[in-house]
Amino acid sequence: MKSSYLKQFIANTLALFSVWLVLSGKYDNFHLVLGFMASCGVAWLNTGFPHSPFHNFPWARVVLYSPWLFLRIVESSLHLTKLILNPSLPINPRLITYQSHLKHRGAIVLLGNSVTLTPGTITVEANGNTFLVHAIDETAAKDLTTGRMERKLAWVFQEDTNH
Amino acid sequence: MVVLAIGLILVGVFFLVVAAIGTIRLPDVFTRSHAVSLTDSLGAICVLAGLALYQGFGINMLKILVVLVLLILLNPVIAHATIRAANRAGLKPQTKEDP
Repeated sequence: MKSSYLKQFIANTLALFSVWLVLSGKYDNFHLVLGFMASCGVAWLNTGFPHSPFHNFPWARVVLYSPWLFLRIVESSLHLTKLILNPSLPINPRLITYQSHLKHRGAIVLLGNSVTLTPGTITVEANGNTFLVHAIDETAAKDLTTGRMERKLAWVFQEDTNH
Repeated sequence: MVVLAIGLILVGVFFLVVAAIGTIRLPDVFTRSHAVSLTDSLGAICVLAGLALYQGFGINMLKILVVLVLLILLNPVIAHATIRAANRAGLKPQTKEDP
């Protein structure tokens, strides 16, 4: 517990300090030390919550997941653009209740975030594993209702979806 | 490089205009939020990627990329908070069956 706390503290400090380096753009000793102290302070305040969704978060596979999500975003953006520019406005909005089988809290956060980030679907309520999703038509909701997005996330978090 | 950057910015501006049209045309807050999410996905991504290319490699490009990542992480949170508030306030989303 103690060493995992220290590891997380150092990781948080380095992440915050790299953001500081990018945003400040001044590399003299005064600003470096100031930034390092600020990063340590913020990391100290924020480390050690075992229920954080970023506990045991598989960062490498999330990075591999993001190009797929980006392609989905482009595709559904084009679909939504066609809907909006169509003079007859052929929308068919609906509310969908979706029950997810993902266990990791980070996976559930990422699923809700991905659904909202994809144009055409938006998470209305997230209660445990149950999502209430508003979709603009059935095509936009297809990724979710066919379980495609959940299977991708199950691969990211190495969980099995055979329930 | 500059041509590519200007092309990306123009594509982004196109999606921003479509999002504005959508915000006016769509009927209720739930569907309008979809149009707004078009802004922060493709619109902002294209405009910021174009600006990053225009700047060339350097500290400013990194800063723009940080803004891009923050936008991608935070915009769904804002959209979700708005829609959840609308839902809890008792607004019912309009469906095709009862216009």
